[in-house]
Amino acid sequence: MGIRDNAVLAGKVCLLAIFVLVGLTVLGCAGIRSAPEGGSGGTIADGTLFLCPALKQSGGFGCSAPATEGKLLAVNTSDGSRLWEVSLETAKPASGGFGCAPAATPVAVYGMPAVAEELVYVAGYNGKIYALSSTSGALRWVYPREGNLGPIISGVVAALGKVYFGCSDGKVYALDAATGDKQWEFATGDKIWSTPAIDGDTLYIGSFDKKLYALSATDGSKKWEFEAEGAIASTPLVYNNMVYIGSFDRHLYAVGASDGKVRWQFLAEKWFWGRPVAYNNTIYAGCFDRRVYALDAQNGGKLAEFDLGSPVYSWPVLVDGKVIIASEEGKVYALDASNNQPGLLADVEEAIYAPLCASDGVVYIYSQGKNLHALNVASGAKLWSLTTK
Amino acid sequence: MGIGDIWNLIAMQPMINTLIVLTNYLFNNFGLAIIALTIIINGLMLYLTLKQIYASKAMQTLQPKLMELQKKYAKDKQRLAQEQMRLYKESGVSPAGCLLPLVVQMPIWIALYQSIMRVMAVIPENLLGLSKYLYSWPVVYSTLPLNNEFLWLNLAVGDTFLALLVGGTMWVQQKMVMTPAADPRQQTQSNMMLWMMPIMFAFFTLSFPSGLALFWVTSNVIRIGIQYFVTGWGGLVKSTPKKQVVRDRKYKQRIAQVEQAPSGGADIVVPSSTQEEGLDYEDSGSKRQDRGGGYPKSPRAIRRQPRRGGGHRRKRG
Repeated sequence: MGIRDNAVLAGKVCLLAIFVLVGLTVLGCAGIRSAPEGGSGGTIADGTLFLCPALKQSGGFGCSAPATEGKLLAVNTSDGSRLWEVSLETAKPASGGFGCAPAATPVAVYGMPAVAEELVYVAGYNGKIYALSSTSGALRWVYPREGNLGPIISGVVAALGKVYFGCSDGKVYALDAATGDKQWEFATGDKIWSTPAIDGDTLYIGSFDKKLYALSATDGSKKWEFEAEGAIASTPLVYNNMVYIGSFDRHLYAVGASDGKVRWQFLAEKWFWGRPVAYNNTIYAGCFDRRVYALDAQNGGKLAEFDLGSPVYSWPVLVDGKVIIASEEGKVYALDASNNQPGLLADVEEAIYAPLCASDGVVYIYSQGKNLHALNVASGAKLWSLTTK
Repeated sequence: MGIGDIWNLIAMQPMINTLIVLTNYLFNNFGLAIIALTIIINGLMLYLTLKQIYASKAMQTLQPKLMELQKKYAKDKQRLAQEQMRLYKESGVSPAGCLLPLVVQMPIWIALYQSIMRVMAVIPENLLGLSKYLYSWPVVYSTLPLNNEFLWLNLAVGDTFLALLVGGTMWVQQKMVMTPAADPRQQTQSNMMLWMMPIMFAFFTLSFPSGLALFWVTSNVIRIGIQYFVTGWGGLVKSTPKKQVVRDRKYKQRIAQVEQAPSGGADIVVPSSTQEEGLDYEDSGSKRQDRGGGYPKSPRAIRRQPRRGGGHRRKRG
């Protein structure tokens, strides 16, 4: 074979490789991510907003792995300035065979941080819980100290001297808030993505095994369980001795907090993802079917519904008698709870997935564009924006 | 409505919802659902697949003739092209016949591939995106999210064994299709492709969810089965050189006849050899009407040909 033939052959092989790569990636997985990006909602304590920004996606063929980093950011709520930011520990990959090490597990964070007793708690997708100083960001403890749990999508709840969270390994964990020592664990039948809710001594949490569990917050013993028709990934709301929770079966359930008996269920066109809010005996729940439903808290009767034009992923918040809710396409609405009339508050023009948070008449919105926006609820004016890229 | 919406409406939504429903009825096993849907899709496209295989086979039978023409008109490219076109026309074989069914099948494979990637939805972002594709069937919502465990596999992450299986089955399938080329350069290139493609796919499979690899392996196994049904083991079993030589001699004779034709053109007249080749011509030469390209009317004739001519299929008993 001459040089020319070799060159032709090499060209053909290169062309084939390019064809396969383009076929597999551009055509195949455009818009489909296989790596977690995260991006939690904010938690506010003493004028500081704690937030874990979404990860940067590194380049690649559309199915790229993200940059293996993750951080906790403390922001001054009055002016949007950064108080501090710390990188969360990056998982060290074990070396693989043939000199190929597997990719490090990125520290994406989906759940909102929790703050209690000078500590801020963060649950990482890498299967670790971090406790950091809320004033300096210094790391106090990590659980587990060695190895990792399964990926954690759930947020953390800090109460009664403990830290509670659910894990994709199907277990609910309770850790000592000061030391990170495990107090108890409770195994469910499937993955847990739901963030727990605490009311008194009872912890409520949903699981992919289609059940809502009521557990003793003290020792993790089961009080009751309620089985829905679909998996549960949303976070429960406890209000007036009732637990309200959405399921993949498209129902919003109202379950007695004391006995686990279903009181009513409301069927929508798609499923409920975020935690609803309650005000004046009305439940406001955003749904993937683009609507927000206002339901009677006692009997589930539909009082009103609003079409926001795109699915509602983020959790609504209550500010001064107004329900603030954001649609996926970036429009932020204020529903006047007194007459159930909606009004457009702002359009941030970026996708919104993360739960909203509010304090002192200001709502804080973290967008998938990796920007944190502060909006005055009364006027709709944008107070400041902070980019976290 | 944009092209993306149309694509979602006619391809993605039906496939995604079918996958979820199949998972529900197959014991909530997503791995079985992938295998079942791959079989169903292959079944629906069997006609196109067979057409493509028959067309490829017909093209292969013309290779010796094409080689002769290439040698003969090596210095006259225009004449070569004319003679090749004439040969295709006379033989009732269309080069596009190999490609067209493949092109038609491509969007369906891409949709199936995308559906598997979407339905696995191992991270929240993908699960949020998946909701846009779902029909309002209760069974769909009660089945989600899917369990990604199948045998020893986590269908959401890559698997080395499955990657090797993808490469292995792809190699077998290609080897079956491959026929020995008379030109050593062409043979070298074919050998290179035979190894490069499976190695590349195996390598890519490592970085893709194994649910996708399961789809590839199933597809390859089905294609191997269909290929065996049509052509036997093909290139996997060595053909008898003697018969090949006899056949080549006959092609040379035919080419010689063409050269001696008084019109000066390459009016290939093949009164008996077409039957020998298994191509069902009722007429021959210039008397036969142009059927507008395509492939032989009766593919069975081609299927039988290796037994008589090359003995590719292993004798039983």
